[in-house]
Amino acid sequence: MVDMDLRTRVEAFLFKEARLLDTGDFAGWLALYEPEGIYWMPSQPGQTDPKNVASIIYEDHAILSIRVQRLFEARALVLTPMPQTTHMLSNIEVETGEDGADDGIVRAQAAFFCMQYQANDQKIFAGRQSFELKPEGDSFRILLKRTDLLNAGGTLPLITIPF
Amino acid sequence: METQDTPTIDEIRDFVRPHQVHRRAYADPEVFKLEMERIFGRMWIYLAHESQVQKPGAFFRTRLAQYEVLVTRHTDGEVYVLHNRCPHRGARMCMVDRGNSKLLNCPYHAWSFRPDGTLSTVPHRESYPESFDLDDPQNHMQRVKHVQSYRGFIFATLNEDPAPLTEQLGAMTDVIDNLIDRAPDGEVEVAESVFMLEYKGNWKLHLENAADIFHPTFVHSSSVGAARRAPQNASKLDSDQTRTMLEANGFSKEQWEGIQLNGLPNGHTYMSNFYSKGVMVDQDDDPVMADYKARMVAAHGRDRTVEILSVDRFNNIIYPNMVLNAQHQQMRITIPLSEGRTLIRVQCFRLKGAPEEMYQRAIRFLSTLASPASMIFSDDVEMLERCQVGLQSDDNPWVDFSRGLDIDKTDADGSTSGVASEMPMRTQFKAWVEMMTKEAA
Repeated sequence: MVDMDLRTRVEAFLFKEARLLDTGDFAGWLALYEPEGIYWMPSQPGQTDPKNVASIIYEDHAILSIRVQRLFEARALVLTPMPQTTHMLSNIEVETGEDGADDGIVRAQAAFFCMQYQANDQKIFAGRQSFELKPEGDSFRILLKRTDLLNAGGTLPLITIPF
Repeated sequence: METQDTPTIDEIRDFVRPHQVHRRAYADPEVFKLEMERIFGRMWIYLAHESQVQKPGAFFRTRLAQYEVLVTRHTDGEVYVLHNRCPHRGARMCMVDRGNSKLLNCPYHAWSFRPDGTLSTVPHRESYPESFDLDDPQNHMQRVKHVQSYRGFIFATLNEDPAPLTEQLGAMTDVIDNLIDRAPDGEVEVAESVFMLEYKGNWKLHLENAADIFHPTFVHSSSVGAARRAPQNASKLDSDQTRTMLEANGFSKEQWEGIQLNGLPNGHTYMSNFYSKGVMVDQDDDPVMADYKARMVAAHGRDRTVEILSVDRFNNIIYPNMVLNAQHQQMRITIPLSEGRTLIRVQCFRLKGAPEEMYQRAIRFLSTLASPASMIFSDDVEMLERCQVGLQSDDNPWVDFSRGLDIDKTDADGSTSGVASEMPMRTQFKAWVEMMTKEAA
């Protein structure tokens, strides 16, 4: 049985994460990650190996913090003007199977859609995201966020704001 | 872009001055057509590495001038380059970038071809006229006649009567040799990982940028600044590789003046390396590097190993479409799509016989520099695209490449310069004019 309370809390957490990105609170977004937490955007559909296969992004908190710091740098050319995003998450499923219960990690997945606007140009990104979340009080911290782009493996536009 | 007539030979010649280039070289579709005919249609163009078509039936899809082509390995072990088009009705055949198939089948009327392009079978053979001949080359996937390999790097040309490949490569064979020499087993293979990036700009802009050592201080200051402020060795993932790479684009004045630039005949250029810190640098206190060097010494001996590893050249540009970095095991290929659209294919190599971690570092180098989310290359692409936008405007049709004009040293073997000279761009355009104004043999 899905614990509806857990599901509600996971949804609230994921929506908050999306809002932090949409409002440009990247420092707040980074703070959702555990120190050993990883953001992974594979370059290939179904990629299982982040070390021997290149990823679009495979970064822990330390590298992500450089990425976030760059978002604040005045001279970041590709971020001038700053892109604005709308992140939408849907089809959220929370896994509460025995695996999840065993290690205390909550697993969730969702479909996502991100519209990015910059200098009269709109780009659309979409795909699926999966999360490994560590419960902390009523909320969570991110151990792993994986973003599988629909067009991973294809010819991609530049990616600036994380999804 | 306004429609213009095909430029004459004299006009092309006038596009390039000692220190300036006319914007039509970048923004005129008629010039682009000529480039496809005279540069990408006549010169040897790098297409693929043999490791990508290792087994019979393996194929790799790419472009040669304005054509989509398949590089294939036939059952006899030979490599062929075929136009990706069915000779029957003209349909584009292969829809994926790589694969392996005993026969290449056209989905329309099921003509099927061997990897050398010859026609194997057609369904319902009896309904074709008696004169229909499976062996008639007209019924085969059209081959690119001239294909040559240099130590596993496959080049092809549409030129009916090409000069030898090694003549065109000139002294740049050194960098291919050095890449292969860096493998303890004397062999490299291309990683399957690949990034395809398309930018809205002319193909030459990418090659100029790769030879331009003036821009990193400005263009990459956001990632340099962020990396400088970040603590060292904080990441558990990469031994500080990403941070040191980002930081490397911030030069001190001495560093920046000290980077030596080299220009060679045929438009080739390279510079001395500026990634002088981090895990991919030859150093003794890193166990992976120590292991690697021990394997190199076992394979090549100590003196030869020192010789191989001391070659420290960066962005070796084999004109007109290849950028190689041997010591980082990286390769970028420039694929022109139109005067204002270019595809960049970025890949890395595995050094056979080297520790697995070396390969993983090459993979991280690839992601850090060239992923669509790269904190480095994204800023480059932004500037290339802004250049292309500006070059649409003819208020001042001339692009300036004068920096360093008075300090370059030039002799018969080419030019050398420092202080972030624009000599490499002048070298590229010297070759460009030669190729564009040469009448077909």
